[in-house]
Parts: sequence; C-alpha cells; structure tokens
Amino acid sequence: MAENQAKEGWEPKIVAIVCNWCTYAGADLAGISRIQYPPNVRIIRVPCTGRINPFYVMKALQEGADGVLVSGCHPGECHYISGNLTAKRKFATLKRFLNYVGVEGDRTMFTWVSASEGDRFAQVIKGVTQAVRELGPASKLTKKISDK
Amino acid sequence: MENIEKKLREEVRKLLIEKKVDAVIGYEDGTLPLTATPCFIANPDDADKLVWNRFCTQNLAKFVHDLVMQHKESQKRVKPEDRIKKAFGVVARGCTSRSLVIHLQELQYDRSECVIIGVPCTGYVDKKKLATAVNQEEILGGSATKDELFVKTATGEKKIALREVLADNCRTCRFNNPVISDLMVGEPAPPMDAASEYAEVDAFENLPIEKRWAYFSKEMAKCIRCAACRNTCPSCYCRICFAEQSQPQWVGIGDDPSDTQMFQLMRMYHMVGRCVDCGSCISVCPMGVDLRKFLKKLDKDAFELFEHRAGASLDSPAPLSTYKENDKEDFIFNPGGGGH
Ligand code: SF4
Ligand code: SF4
Ligand code: SF4
Repeated sequence: MAENQAKEGWEPKIVAIVCNWCTYAGADLAGISRIQYPPNVRIIRVPCTGRINPFYVMKALQEGADGVLVSGCHPGECHYISGNLTAKRKFATLKRFLNYVGVEGDRTMFTWVSASEGDRFAQVIKGVTQAVRELGPASKLTKKISDK
Repeated sequence: MENIEKKLREEVRKLLIEKKVDAVIGYEDGTLPLTATPCFIANPDDADKLVWNRFCTQNLAKFVHDLVMQHKESQKRVKPEDRIKKAFGVVARGCTSRSLVIHLQELQYDRSECVIIGVPCTGYVDKKKLATAVNQEEILGGSATKDELFVKTATGEKKIALREVLADNCRTCRFNNPVISDLMVGEPAPPMDAASEYAEVDAFENLPIEKRWAYFSKEMAKCIRCAACRNTCPSCYCRICFAEQSQPQWVGIGDDPSDTQMFQLMRMYHMVGRCVDCGSCISVCPMGVDLRKFLKKLDKDAFELFEHRAGASLDSPAPLSTYKENDKEDFIFNPGGGGH
C-alpha cells in the first residue's frame, strides 16, 4: 500500500481477528479499565477462532496489513468447546507455511486472551506492535495495484 | 510389467462381464511414443487397450470422483424408486489409492461405488526430465526395460538410466503399493527411497528467509493461473473453488503478482494433510512451476505436528478436521509468559 512504502512516519497496521467470547471481552475489559495499549490495531470480531478461515490472514496481508493477530479463548475455555483447538491446528500449519515461503513469522501471531485478562490483552497488542515495528512495513504478498 | 498388464486386462474383462462395475478407469497408450493417457472402458472387448507402464502419470482418483458425481447428478431427476446404482473400477497404484482413501474419509462416495484394482508401482517417467535427457529432440519411438529406457530421436537411439528420469515424487515415494484394494494385480513392488522424502524441504528451510521469498516469488511469477494443477488434483473436487468465487473474491483478476501468489498459497494450503504427492499437478503445469517444493512442506508439517500421512489409512482423519489436547503450542505468542 502506498502509505506503507513511505517509511517516514510509518505506523504498523495490525489486523486482530478475535473471538467474541474471550479476547473481544478481554479487549473490552482493557478499555473499561483504561489500560493503555498502542492504537495500531484494527479489531475484527468473529464468533469463534474456529470460524476463522486461514484465508483471512493471507488476504489481510495482501490488502496491506503489516501484521495479523488471531486470538481466542484459552484451551479448554472455548464457548463452543473445541473451536480454538481446531483453530490451533490451522494456524500452526499456516504460520509455518507462510514463514517457509518467506513471510516473517512475526507478521502472523496467534495467542489466547480470556475475558478477564484486560492487562494481558494490552500486553499482547504491545508485543505484537513492537515486533511488527521492528520488521518494518510489509511488502511481500502486498497488492501493489489497488483494485479501487 | 507385461505379466501385470496381461493379468490386469483379464481382471478388468472379468469385472465388466460379471457386471461388477459399469466402467473401468485405466491407462491406454498415448498418441505420442512413450506416453500413456487415462482411458475409460465400458465394453469388455476394450480391456485389451489397457496398459500399465512407466508412462502412466496422472492420478486416476480424480476421474472416479468425476464419474460418481456425474452419475449422482444424472439421478437427481429420476424418481427415487427408479434410481440406479453404479460402480466404477479404477486402476490404482499407491498414490491413487491414497486419494481414494481421502475421498472416502471426506464422505464423497460410498466404498461400494468404487472397485479398486491395485497395481504395484515403481514410479513413472517425468516427461520434462526425459525431454532434457534427449536435448528437447522429438521422440520418435522407444521402449523401456526394468531400469533403462531406449529412446529413438532423429539423431539416433539413446540409452537412458531410468533413475535419472524418474519423477521426484516417485523416487522418494513412501507408499508405492496400494494402501487399499479390492483385488491386487501382481506382487508388491520393492520400496522406493522414502528416507530422503523431505531432503529438498529441509534444504529449503535452511535458506535465509529472503532467499526463500525470492524463490517463491520467482516460481509464482511463472504461473499463468490456468488452473490445470487444480483441475487434475484428486483432492480438488470442490464444486465451486475459492479461485472462482466472487463473494468474497479471494483471488483478484488483475495481473498483480500478489493475486497469483494468493491463488497458489490458498490452493496449496487446502492440501494440508490432503496432498498425496502424486505429482499430477506438476506434470500438467505448462509453465514448469516448482509446486512440489511447497506442497511437500505441508506434508512434512502434517507429519511433524500431527503424525498424519495423507490418505495412508481410513482410520486417520484429515488433520485439520480434528485436534488432540496435547497438540504443540510452541508457536503461541505469549508476552511475559502470562496467561493462566
Ligand atoms: S496437490 Fe498435486 S501432488 Fe498433491 S494430490 Fe494434488 S495433484 Fe497430487
Ligand atoms: S483449491 Fe481448494 S477450493 Fe479449489 S478445488 Fe481445490 S480444495 Fe477446492
Ligand atoms: S498448472 Fe502451472 S501455470 Fe497453471 S495454474 Fe497451476 S501452477 Fe499455474
């Protein structure tokens, strides 16, 4: 994306795809507890991490995200019992595969944040933003010609 | 091989005469020398067309799926009481049988709808390697023995060692004998060099990340998105493939390199635990894209992470359709080691 190419004043753009029951509630708690975290993250709420098509992660990278975070309930706490466990398998293979073709591992992050972990949510966002900032703007897999 | 061919023809003729199958999918001689092509046999007298040799390349499981689906489609407009069942025979070597296992596991059809005629396999000739071995000269004729090929071109006859032109996937094949079959033709073939199966992937993993990206983008830049790889792949049977979906549109129709990369990454990702390394996609690719380098990585990971080998057994379900409590977690981002 054009603005990514200008390193000057560049801020990482991070897409966070989070589940409704744990991580989204965790983000909410961080908000109402007024815990500070970097404003670089765009949150997309889905019912469950098991519902996340791995294509979303690839597509976000193509559309100009510098990093993608997927976060759901801790193992054993999934609202749908095992959605996060099947998601774990998908993301383990996806992360390895993207890294294999040359997309830095730190651009695709996976974690768990529960509804009571507002502080952990802030920490995760800080950590991911920091890691992506160190990598710099994404250009691999990024669409150069905009469809729009 | 001659004996296997003879027995194969007899068995197929018998199956057709006894009406155990409605048609058999096998291979016949191609129109060019040293080639074979898939064929469909419904008449017992045509069984003599069947061949089983070094040039049988395509994975025939694809056609079993096609025929079963066509038949089911044709029965939709028939009154339920008038519907007929059909069964299709298929000449299956190791990888073909594994693709059939995948179809069965994914509930595409019933076991009774296919009759698996198992054949032992010692690998097929990679036609691109063969073309290189004869300096791209036109092949006018030839023959094959157990470990050698004799190839006639305009400039004379050339003797080529088979192991030099064997397809990469065959050279390191772990399942060259069928994993399931209704009947076996011939004795099981000796094992291939499965120990070095992941050598290429290991070497690639050890390259610096920028080199890997450079290779990936160079290979993908060759791709013209003709979709032949998908069309020939037995695991690619979706009625509507993501590649043609318009809502959402996963793959842009422009010529931006990232659109091709998306198409490839997405199609390959659909092969986690589902690619049997039959090499069909590679053999049909008109641009010579090195797909195997990437597909084999998914295969390696499915084994490393989930101890899964695609289609090796009916009892081991597709790895992404299930989970284990103790699946590896080392990739989970954990700032400050927190959590609870
Ligand atoms: S992806 Fe290629 S090698 Fe793998 S099963 Fe499909 S056609 Fe065979
Ligand atoms: S690429 Fe995926 S969506 Fe397309 S046919 Fe293959 S498995 Fe189906
Ligand atoms: S067959 Fe080759 S050129 Fe055609 S879409 Fe597949 S990789 Fe691309």
